[in-house]
Amino acid sequence: MSGREFFADRYEKMGWKYENVQLKQAIRVNVMNAGDTASLAKRLTSLGIRIEKIPFLENGYWICKSRFSIGATSEYLSGLYSIQEAAAQIPASLFTELEDKTVLDACAAPGGKTVQLADLMHNTGAVIALDISEQRLIALSNQLERCRVKNTMVYCLDARKAEQLKTTFDCILLDMPCSGNFAADRNWFKRRTIKDVQRNATIQREILTETMKMLKPCGEIVYSTCSLEPEENELNIDWAIKNLNLQVQEINCHGQEALTNLFGKQLDRSIENARRIWPGQTQGFFICRLKRRELP
Amino acid sequence: MIEEIDNFAKQFGAKIHLDERLIVKTQNRYFLLNDNLRKLLSKDFFYASTYLGRAENGKFLPSFNLLRLIAEKESNKIIVDKKTAWLFICGRDIFRQGIKSVMCSKKTGDHTLVLNEYEECLGFGKIICDLTIAREGVAVENLLDLGDFLRREKQTST
Repeated sequence: MSGREFFADRYEKMGWKYENVQLKQAIRVNVMNAGDTASLAKRLTSLGIRIEKIPFLENGYWICKSRFSIGATSEYLSGLYSIQEAAAQIPASLFTELEDKTVLDACAAPGGKTVQLADLMHNTGAVIALDISEQRLIALSNQLERCRVKNTMVYCLDARKAEQLKTTFDCILLDMPCSGNFAADRNWFKRRTIKDVQRNATIQREILTETMKMLKPCGEIVYSTCSLEPEENELNIDWAIKNLNLQVQEINCHGQEALTNLFGKQLDRSIENARRIWPGQTQGFFICRLKRRELP
Repeated sequence: MIEEIDNFAKQFGAKIHLDERLIVKTQNRYFLLNDNLRKLLSKDFFYASTYLGRAENGKFLPSFNLLRLIAEKESNKIIVDKKTAWLFICGRDIFRQGIKSVMCSKKTGDHTLVLNEYEECLGFGKIICDLTIAREGVAVENLLDLGDFLRREKQTST
C-alpha cells in the first residue's frame, strides 16, 4: 500500500484532488532583532530582494524575487529573519499567551519554531527544547545563536522521556516527527508506505501521552504535523480525546476545518476545530490546539 | 571560568562584567544564564540561554553573542561600508578604503570588532596596518565573520 496512485486515491476520498504544487519560499521576521518590519523590507529591497506580506501570517513574507540566496545575506546571518515555510509558521503562533511562560518544544530541531517561540515571548520566560538527535541539535544551537535567543535551554532527550525534566509547562508545542508530504519532498511517493505512516502515528501517540503529563492544569498543547495522512492527524486527535482526557480548542488560522468523517468512520465532532492545510502555495499541514478536559 | 572571557574582551580594550554565578560550562562551551533559566537548569544540558564561546587547544573562540556584548561597551571597533561588509562576511580581509570610521585603537596588532553601517557586529579582525597612517591596502585581517554560520551549516549537513 504505497505509491502515488494509492495516496492520491486516499486524498480524493478525503475531499482533495491531488495536484502537483510549487511551493513559494517564505521568511519570518524576527521582530525582537529586526524591530519594525518596514525597515527590514527596505534593506532587503536595496539588495534586490522583493518580498510580499503573507496575508494569513503576522510576520511572514513571501519571497517574490531574489537574485541570490536569501540564506546568505548579512540580515539573515544577523538573525533579523529566518527562512521558514509559511504553514510551518502557524503552530507556534496559536498559543493564547506566551510571554513569561514556561514552554516545552518537544521535538525542536532544526529550531525554526523554537526561535519563533522565543521571538513571540520577547525572550522572556523559558523554552525547553528537546530533540533526540545530537547532530540536529548542533543545527538548532546555531539557529539560537544566530537569532540571539536568550530564553532557551536545550536537552538531547527523547520527548517520550521528558518527565525526566521534572518540571511542568504552561504551553507544549508538539511539532511531531511525521511522514511529511509530497509537496516538500519530491520522492515522497517512492519513499513512503502506509506502514511508515502507522509507525509514525504510534510514536506520536506515545509522545502526546508522555508530554501531556507535564502540562499544567490550564496549559495548552499545540499539536502539528506536516503529514497529510489522517492516522497522524485527525485519527490521533480522536484517540487523544477518548484516551487522554484532552479537548480540542477553537483556533482561528489559515486552513480548512479538519475532517470528522474519515473513510466511513465518524470522529469526535470537536475535531472540526482543528485545521488541515492541503498543499498549494504552502506545504500540507495539520494543526490542533488541545487542553485538558475540565472535570464536571 | 570567567577569566578566559575577560581576557578575550581585554583584547578589544573592553571590560565586561558578567555575573560568574550565571556562567555555566558543558564540555568546552560556556553559557550565560539568566535567573529564570538558572532555576530550571539540570546538569546534562546541551545549550543554555546565551552561548558565549568555547575553549579549544588553549584558545578561546568567541560566539557572536559575546562579540555583541563587547560591542555594546567602549571597545575597539570599525564601521565599514556596504561592499566591504559583504566581502567581510564572505571571509575577506578589510581594505583601508572600506573603513568609514574607527573607534578606540588604531594600532597594528590590536583586535577590533567589525560593524556594518547599521552598527551590527559582523565579526572581528586584527589590525595589520596602523589605521592612522594607512590610506589603502589590507588594513584588518579577518579572524571571524558571520559567514561562519553558513560554513557551520555546510558542516552539519555533510
